[in-house]
Amino acid sequence: MKLQQVMVTALVASTMLLAGCTIAPVTSGTGAEKLVQGDDFKKHLQVDNAELGKKLHISEVKSRKTNGLLEINLALTSSYKKSQQLQYHFKWFDKDGFVLEANKAPWKPLELHGFQTATVKGLAPSVAVESFSVYVREVPEKYYKF
Amino acid sequence: MKKVILATTIGLALMVTAGCSNKSVIRYGDAAAVETVDINFGSTDLQKVAAEMTDSMLLSPVVGTLTENKRPIVFVERIKNKTSEHIDTESITDSISTKLLRSGKFRFVDMARVESVREQLDFQQNSGMVDPSKAMQFGRQVGAEYMLYGNLSSIVKSNKDQEDVYYKFTMRLMDLESGLVEWADETEIRKTKGKQRVSW
Repeated sequence: MKLQQVMVTALVASTMLLAGCTIAPVTSGTGAEKLVQGDDFKKHLQVDNAELGKKLHISEVKSRKTNGLLEINLALTSSYKKSQQLQYHFKWFDKDGFVLEANKAPWKPLELHGFQTATVKGLAPSVAVESFSVYVREVPEKYYKF
Repeated sequence: MKKVILATTIGLALMVTAGCSNKSVIRYGDAAAVETVDINFGSTDLQKVAAEMTDSMLLSPVVGTLTENKRPIVFVERIKNKTSEHIDTESITDSISTKLLRSGKFRFVDMARVESVREQLDFQQNSGMVDPSKAMQFGRQVGAEYMLYGNLSSIVKSNKDQEDVYYKFTMRLMDLESGLVEWADETEIRKTKGKQRVSW
């Protein structure tokens, strides 16, 4: 075996090992901040992850009061041919913009199939909620990504 | 020169390997994050079940009517664990009752602490140590109007390539006087364990 071949093999092996040991990081995503009932979500939309922004977009955010509690419908549309593993969550704010139940709203997993539109639901934990935020992020599955 | 480069490359490769070896690191994680350590019932399932049941109950029109002008008193019976796993179902009911209580729509009586309450009242009444005019009286508690109960069941299937677990969680709210079930809902969870996808 030539020396160069050995070197190339060693380099590839080291890169593989490095990549193999990487814990897939949680990525950023897309969301809308501090919406109140009846707000146009498009004005609040922010895309933090341009790569995800090409594959997924928030197509609708609706809200209404049911039994005195703010209820949210969040529609997500995929513009990608394969399934996507996503997580979404809501944040809740009272009339003064103070966060309620901070860090208690769990991230919820969602599998969105190719070109599918899925609607997920959220309900405010208390009648004091006046505004909310939504956020969707991608779950990286490719551990061997360079 | 070539040997030096070769040695450096191999050395680097070894260093990288050593860097990723089993060095234990402790850090605080996000309690609200999605957990996928194994296929068993986990924190994300608990959070999902508790959130969906509470949301469904608070959104239902019947519960809207029940809670319109008053806060009904509920007692939580228990969730029967019919799965093949050991699951602390009290933890699920704790989460659900806490969320319902914090929503301001319901009130709860806690059957798990009846003995402690009896002991405390007995002490206040009979020990001779508490001012009788300030002692809490027996027989003044308010009875529950509704009972919350449910089942958690699972179907587990596997072959050599993948494992699949399906959980079904059912919950009901019963009017204790009439025996009518006023609200019921169920939620499902599917988890699969397969081979890691590798892409370059």
